[in-house]
Amino acid sequence: MKPVKGGYAVEVPVINVSERARQEQSSVLSTFKAFGVTFRRMITSLFKGDMPTISYPEEQRPYSERFRGTHILTVRDDGSLKCVACYMCATICPAECIYIEAGEHPNPEIEKFPERFDIDMMRCIYCGFCVDACPEEAIVMSREHHQAVYDRSETIYTIEKLMQRSGIYAKGPGYRPNIPFAEAKIFDPEKNKVCSIPSGVEERHPAVLYESMINKRH
Amino acid sequence: MPKVTINDHVYEAEKGKTIIQVADEVGVQIPRYCYHPDIGVEGSCRMCLVEVEKAPKLVPSCATPIADGMVIRTTTERVNQAVRYAMEFLLLHHPIDCPVCDQSGECWLQDYYMSYAGHDSRYPLGEKTRRRKAYNLGPEVKLDQERCILCTRCVRFTRNVTHTNEIQVFNRGHKAEIGIFEDAPLTNPYSMNVVDVCPVGALTSADFRFKVRAWFLQGTTSVCAGCSTGCNLRVDHSARAVGGGIPGYTATDGKIYRTVGRRNIEVNKSWLCDEGRLSFHTMERWPRLVGATVTGQPKNTNEALTFAHSQFETIRQQSGDAAVAALGSATNTNEALFLLKRYFRGRVDFRLGRETETYQTMQDDLLRRLDKHPNTQGAIDLGLAGLGDLKSICERAERKEIRAVWISFHPQLVGSDSDETLKDLQRLIAAVEFSVVSTTHDFDWARKATVILPMAGWAEERGTYTNYAGRVQITNRAITPPAGALPLHVMIVEMLKLSNVQVTSDPSAIFDWLGRDVALYSALDYDSIGLLGAVPAGRTAETTEVLR
Repeated sequence: MKPVKGGYAVEVPVINVSERARQEQSSVLSTFKAFGVTFRRMITSLFKGDMPTISYPEEQRPYSERFRGTHILTVRDDGSLKCVACYMCATICPAECIYIEAGEHPNPEIEKFPERFDIDMMRCIYCGFCVDACPEEAIVMSREHHQAVYDRSETIYTIEKLMQRSGIYAKGPGYRPNIPFAEAKIFDPEKNKVCSIPSGVEERHPAVLYESMINKRH
Repeated sequence: MPKVTINDHVYEAEKGKTIIQVADEVGVQIPRYCYHPDIGVEGSCRMCLVEVEKAPKLVPSCATPIADGMVIRTTTERVNQAVRYAMEFLLLHHPIDCPVCDQSGECWLQDYYMSYAGHDSRYPLGEKTRRRKAYNLGPEVKLDQERCILCTRCVRFTRNVTHTNEIQVFNRGHKAEIGIFEDAPLTNPYSMNVVDVCPVGALTSADFRFKVRAWFLQGTTSVCAGCSTGCNLRVDHSARAVGGGIPGYTATDGKIYRTVGRRNIEVNKSWLCDEGRLSFHTMERWPRLVGATVTGQPKNTNEALTFAHSQFETIRQQSGDAAVAALGSATNTNEALFLLKRYFRGRVDFRLGRETETYQTMQDDLLRRLDKHPNTQGAIDLGLAGLGDLKSICERAERKEIRAVWISFHPQLVGSDSDETLKDLQRLIAAVEFSVVSTTHDFDWARKATVILPMAGWAEERGTYTNYAGRVQITNRAITPPAGALPLHVMIVEMLKLSNVQVTSDPSAIFDWLGRDVALYSALDYDSIGLLGAVPAGRTAETTEVLR
């Protein structure tokens, strides 16, 4: 196999369209031929159910497991945030769109957690470096990419929004270093009732809710 | 003097020095954990082993004095192997929690692992010994016993430097650990130095903990403005914009996250007191002034300065030069005070209280001094202690001898200014016809002043301070002052321009001008002052070295 012009390493079949184009141009008959194609497609899609289009957005195509959509912050088994605020993602981020403020976690074994974890989605370039840099599988990408908002401030995703958005659990994760997940999982609003977002009580911040774990250690 | 050969180069060194001291002087790098030049020798980490010809075994370079004709090699395979094994033992039970460790990025374990060891741990991560984490040694310091390598630098600091002996090694053998007695927490006024000396992430500062990662910081060499000692330090401030356009985070302003002691044997060795180390928080205590006001109306700074100049000129023409005076601050730089003296034709003082009497008095026997202003000696050198202190200026203002005054006020960074001083300042503002206050924060007492000018504070301007012993040291601009605030010397340069004196606002050029005026400083310039400061040649050294 030798490289061909254009840089392909495989042999690409070459279709010469100029000959066919000259033939079709030269006769009126080709117009009616084209009508025939259109009519045939109409019959198949109307009566045989062979429709190439879907009624988006009610219906959506499945995305790849490696799709790099908006980020998800994953959780531990008890539904608390996995992130330890190590700033690896903020460090590697070429768009500098991640802002973290770390806090002292009540559990000394965990030590650190993000009091604030914001991603400026308008600035994000969806390169997925943050996911690669994360030592804890705490941030993965989703298969969701809807960014239409009424206000620019809504494009800054806070912990709550990054942890759980409608439909994010059902769609499953997008790009992530380990397939399947080794340690983390996506917040499940059905199972993890204790951290339901938005929390009714303010101090019950999702990241601090390690009650089971803290009680066990003290 | 004995001659030693280190890595095939012959050096002459003072008798009695150890190998590691000579190597440090000539720039040969020897890894070490337990040795610290200001704490002393322990010889427990086994990292500084070097090969000495005719010695049967490798010798610890921190504990071996040099001898004439000694041939030392620091880079042989035998040495590297010894260091590698030492590293493997030190890291045997290390939790490898670098992502949550504050030291990460400036950790000596990381550095030496990358340059010497590079091994895989033979101990599975789950089976490593677990010890206490985030344990409070005192109000300012937290201990993580898992990360500790028992170099005992902190123990020796409290033993040899502060003589308080709070930190000890408890138990023996593999159970040995650093700790404190429960009834004697680490509360000495120099406690946070143990965070500086800790080469690993075992001791972390409660104040700096988790605020920012070390690699986001940029260091600017500066001088502490907490008292007249003028300890050398490094200001670590934000250097990189993280977080893009996220509200609440301003990428351009810069923020000081911590200050770290900078070694200067003549002044502070490697140490800082806790008050001075945390003094940068004082700047956050009150809201900053963000714009100039003239009789309560917001004006831009240039308009306000023009107005002030015209007022001063009018009063000077009416009642003579003596009716216009200025009250500087001993926290202003030499440059600013010098220009102030120029503009106000020598009618300047800086004394708010008893600075001149106390600036050489020690508060304790290590570093701190009673006068909480960094530049009292500088102001005295400039001849500013002649007009009279705040109280006498006040009285003269009440007798209408002084009709207009410029008050430059910088809050004390350590402790707080006495209520009496603030009351006197208020009295002074009320007594004069026309008052200009250039200050850093929005203080209540200053609101009555005719013109209020926002001023850049410590670490926001470049200049020199002269410490208690007459050492002239450079304080650098680490962060940007809030919008609208200018350093005092820039404001006075504008004022001088209005009175047809053309001056540059570059501090080093102003210092040159100062040197022509003040004979003592004539031989100095910013290059010769450098990082460690310089004592002017003509100064008689009255002060004694009191550091241990």
